[in-house]
Amino acid sequence: MSTSDGPAKKTIKDAAHETAVEPDTEGKIQKQDKGSGGSIILFFIFGVFASLILGWIIFPKLLYVKKKQPIDFNHAFHITQVDNGCESCHFFREDGTFSGVPKLDQCIDCHEEIQGVDRNEIKFVEDYVSKYRQVPWLIYSKQPNCVFFSHAAHIKGARMDCVTCHGHIGESTSLKVYEQNRITGYSRDIWGKNIAGFKKNPWDRMKMDDCAECHQRDAADIEKTNIKSPEHRYIDNIIKVFSPSSLSLEKGDSVQTQKDACFVCHK
Amino acid sequence: MKNNLNHRFGMVIDLDKCTGCGSCMVACMAENNVPFRKDESDKLLSITWMRVFRLNNGKPFPETDICYLPRPCMQCAGLHEGHSPCVSVCPATATDYGMETGIVSQIYTRCFGCRYCMASCPYHSRYFNWWDPIWPDGMEKYLSPNVSPRMRGVVEKCSFCYHRYQLAKDKAFMDGGRELKENEYQTACTQACPANAITFGDLNNPDHAVHRMVKPDLEHGGRPQNPHAFRLLERLGTNPKVYYLSSRKWIRHAGDNYLKNEAKMKKPVHHG
Amino acid sequence: MKIGRREFLSFVIGGAAGTALSPLPWKLMDDSSIWTQMWPWTPVPENGEASYVNSVCTLCPGRCGITVRKIDDRAVKIEGMKKYPVNDGGLCLLGLSGLQLLYGPTRIKGPLKRSGKRGQGDWERISWKEAISEIVEKLGELREKGRPQSVGAISGSDRGTVPRLLERLLTAYGSPNFFRMASVRDSYELTLDIMQGVQALPGFDFENADFILSFGSDILEGWGSPVQMMRVNSAWKSAGVKVIQIEPRLSNTAAKSDKWIPINPGTEAALAMGLAHVIIKELLYDNGFISADTSRFDDWKQLVIDEYSPDSVAAVTGIDAGTIVVLARRFANASKPMAICGRGDGTHPVSLTECMAVHALNALTGNINKKGGIFAVSDPDYIHWPEIEMDSTAAVGMQHDRLDGAGSRKYPHSRYLLNRLPESILSKALYPLEALFIADANPLYTLTDTQDTGKAFEKIPLVVSFSSFMDETARHADLILPNHVYLERYEDVPMPFGMLQQAVGLARPVVEPQLDTRHVGDVIIETAKGLGGSVATSFPWKTYYLCLKETLGEKWQAMVVNGFWSGSKSIDQALKTSFDTASGKFEFVDPNTGLKPQFKPVQIKGDERQFPLLLMPYDSIRLAHGYIGDPPFMVKTVEDIVLKHNDVFVEVNPKTARAAGLNDGQRALLGTPLGTAKVRVRLFEGIMPGIVALPRGLGHTAYDDYLAGKGINVNTLIGPVEDPDSGMNAAWGIRAKLSKI
Repeated sequence: MSTSDGPAKKTIKDAAHETAVEPDTEGKIQKQDKGSGGSIILFFIFGVFASLILGWIIFPKLLYVKKKQPIDFNHAFHITQVDNGCESCHFFREDGTFSGVPKLDQCIDCHEEIQGVDRNEIKFVEDYVSKYRQVPWLIYSKQPNCVFFSHAAHIKGARMDCVTCHGHIGESTSLKVYEQNRITGYSRDIWGKNIAGFKKNPWDRMKMDDCAECHQRDAADIEKTNIKSPEHRYIDNIIKVFSPSSLSLEKGDSVQTQKDACFVCHK
Repeated sequence: MKNNLNHRFGMVIDLDKCTGCGSCMVACMAENNVPFRKDESDKLLSITWMRVFRLNNGKPFPETDICYLPRPCMQCAGLHEGHSPCVSVCPATATDYGMETGIVSQIYTRCFGCRYCMASCPYHSRYFNWWDPIWPDGMEKYLSPNVSPRMRGVVEKCSFCYHRYQLAKDKAFMDGGRELKENEYQTACTQACPANAITFGDLNNPDHAVHRMVKPDLEHGGRPQNPHAFRLLERLGTNPKVYYLSSRKWIRHAGDNYLKNEAKMKKPVHHG
Repeated sequence: MKIGRREFLSFVIGGAAGTALSPLPWKLMDDSSIWTQMWPWTPVPENGEASYVNSVCTLCPGRCGITVRKIDDRAVKIEGMKKYPVNDGGLCLLGLSGLQLLYGPTRIKGPLKRSGKRGQGDWERISWKEAISEIVEKLGELREKGRPQSVGAISGSDRGTVPRLLERLLTAYGSPNFFRMASVRDSYELTLDIMQGVQALPGFDFENADFILSFGSDILEGWGSPVQMMRVNSAWKSAGVKVIQIEPRLSNTAAKSDKWIPINPGTEAALAMGLAHVIIKELLYDNGFISADTSRFDDWKQLVIDEYSPDSVAAVTGIDAGTIVVLARRFANASKPMAICGRGDGTHPVSLTECMAVHALNALTGNINKKGGIFAVSDPDYIHWPEIEMDSTAAVGMQHDRLDGAGSRKYPHSRYLLNRLPESILSKALYPLEALFIADANPLYTLTDTQDTGKAFEKIPLVVSFSSFMDETARHADLILPNHVYLERYEDVPMPFGMLQQAVGLARPVVEPQLDTRHVGDVIIETAKGLGGSVATSFPWKTYYLCLKETLGEKWQAMVVNGFWSGSKSIDQALKTSFDTASGKFEFVDPNTGLKPQFKPVQIKGDERQFPLLLMPYDSIRLAHGYIGDPPFMVKTVEDIVLKHNDVFVEVNPKTARAAGLNDGQRALLGTPLGTAKVRVRLFEGIMPGIVALPRGLGHTAYDDYLAGKGINVNTLIGPVEDPDSGMNAAWGIRAKLSKI
């Protein structure tokens, strides 16, 4: 019995103490309130600014880790040396698959010996060609593993230009810094150059919704759409011809989304 | 319903020829990066996109008879094209019905593992990844880049080797985007079957063997017109794209649920 | 300025508002959802250029052509090779899971020397130089002591350059003890030798036959070349060819056949004789062939008429007399009937008289060396070997009798009797075996009576395994010199057992050797060179590759281009050779020994009162039980009514189970004269009462966790029974009992 008495007494005492201090606290607050509305707003603005700086400036810096390519590459120069434009090096294999970033074998033809005095050239030949080691290029537009992207459908089927999606890489004289997302591990070029998600060019971002920009238009939609640019008009026409769904169905290929079915771009 | 699909890929499995060897199961596992574990004897947990079931006529010795029945995903079209049991319940848009091919897709990165589709699939064609896949000691070297390995917590199932369709189309694009020939798109199980028991092709194309073998009645949910052909659980109205052939009546009868007093096998009725 | 609670709260609210207006929360949410979809530990297979390499699968004796799909330098898928004579595009599940062996964890990474006790699994990595000099030293020592005959070698096959090189090494060295793993091929070789006077393999013209009578041959479970047989079976289905399957258990073959006739186990020969009785009595035989092309028919006829009436055969086989008569008539009246034997998948021989009895049925219908019948196919003579140089030591060594008694006065026709080797070692009747080389074989698992085999191996001072995998035999070896896996090496591969066409395929490297392994051919050549003298001069090649190229001559080019070299169709060739016996005719009775087709019951082990049941192993194509064990994919296909966790099920007729008081799924103790094992009971109406069936291929103690420790190795419960006429192991089972635990 004696053990249960202790806590009970204490509770009463605590309650008494709280009632005792209450008026005092209220008084203080009232005192502070006078003439401090400005500081509250100020702090609010501080908070807004601090978080905006954090979100817009610091966060993107923290989110991406910058990586340098193993050696630099001059697209603009190489394109003058080959006959077949981009496809000279980024070619289609006979089975219709796309070779992507060239392997060493394609470079060796010209680069068995050091050409010129460029630092990168010397490094390339000495470190890679002569040791027959593949260059560990960081690939800006490497698709994640769940994606099946058919270059053949776009380039051979729809006769699109590389530039339409990849931009003017062919005119660049050096490789830009590769930015890798620390969370997803993907390149910034795929997951959005602009942190806010704004996009000026098709190559600023290549996420699913960006594919859908073209692919979701169904036949009727294409007719109705207010065409923004000749480029879009061109793509739409191609989709009309090559996407079977727009030929035969009023709606898209997919039952779930009325767009192209998921398996078209996923694996 | 008027059928205005471009293709309607389907499979015909001749149960008279099927020897139950299981090569289709392994061909599928090897083609599609299907994982494996140390104990695979609990078949509810064992991921087999293609699974060979053993049927028994239930008669005593020596009248007893067994038959093997390979079961891929049936790629159901449902009563209204695309109304597959699984597609209609998926809350995540992770599984979808493609009108161009009639194939039910499964997008692993989209799936959040609720397993509603598994509950709705009458064929047990769907499997859940209860564990992360583990390939021991360098074995991941044989993984195919054409099919993405799955992670723990998602559902997977037979895709009719959709990646082979994608690759075949890529090749056709090189020749100016021509139509695919029958032999250009074949599933891994069809290709491997030592007994040539599996035939694959476009059910909509009268030139394709699958069409000739079962003569699907497209006006009536693809019902087979060949008297030896049947589909699993025909009366559910799932409109599967996998047909079976058997000259043995008890096997055809085993393909659907019949009441005990339903002595004679009735012609399947299409409800709805 | 004082920062109070309100300022702080205001700052936080402002921060929250600002954060919401910044991309931070939205981008973080998006990125983390992407992260959860793509766990970094889920492997991402590297993409690259696809290419295809043609080769030949040598995982089983079926020898199918394969096309391996590669992405850059990785092999990613094995498929059947189109147009290959054996399989034309199809492939079995073992062949399809080959990459799990290539890249699997059971591979031996380099030469190993035992450091602990035998079988303990303690190894020391040594260099190839050390490994080979170790062998050379031991072999040199034995040779110096004048005991070259005490060295032996077990090979999975005796055809092709690799087994022949091993045999050649033994011959040049001075030992007659080259052993080949047994199979029904041994029974057929002896039968063809005695009845047709030819050293040949049987070639079955299945494509043109129209009635198949199979005496327990599971043509859909691996008998012959599995993929070829399944293709043939499908062709039969389309053409309406009738298949009659005679065996005690409803195998897949029986289920797929047109009629399954259950028979008392081990009495197949009696049925064959009973059918012969009806055929002879009713004059249904091919009189033209019998009178013109056969000899001593009357001697045999008397035996058939006297002893094998349908009624007496019915009593032995358990098949009623009426069925026997009808079956005999159907067989004889078919235009191209064919009778075949070899129980299960044919990895074990049948008694010589049984094989002769079945083959005699083909002679009665005159369906030998004829379209739709059985041909004697001689092995294509495609390897041009230089002469073996033998010094006096070798010559003396070769004079010794073989340890297994093959070719001795007792078993003059037999070539290899590996089943007799353990007993020969243990009984010390001849001379000891002091060193044993093992290639492409796993005798400690596959030979019946595993315990005795193990004891015999204990007596051998040096056991060298060439296995690529840590199998049971490799585990108990002293030295392991791992061979390349078939996908990493060159090898010529002759057509499998049962094929008509004479052709040789070329297995070639699909990928670079993944580990520190060496081609067994190279090791043999190097060892020979190390031994010096006449042994070295018998091996004039620098490497196995050069040896292969040289010995194959002009055929090499064809093999490289087409993937195989194809000789003449054997039909034409066989017609020329016909019968090569002393009489020039088909012999129903061996003129030298008086051996004739008849039913001689195999005296299987066990007392009937103590062991009232019969244990029979059965074969399933989903369970590899030869040199190679099931890769993980294959184990996955094993049904849960065969294997549940680590328990294997025995199939028992419900009647038998009821008598023993056992229910479906119940655990039981299976006992045989050799030992006992814990099993679970599976009631199956497709098996004769009184029989317990246990699958082959389980119960591995070696290999990886995906295979080891699952079920029971039936060879631990069954022992060999010597066929008195040939010395082969003719055991089809053993007496057994099943009791509750």
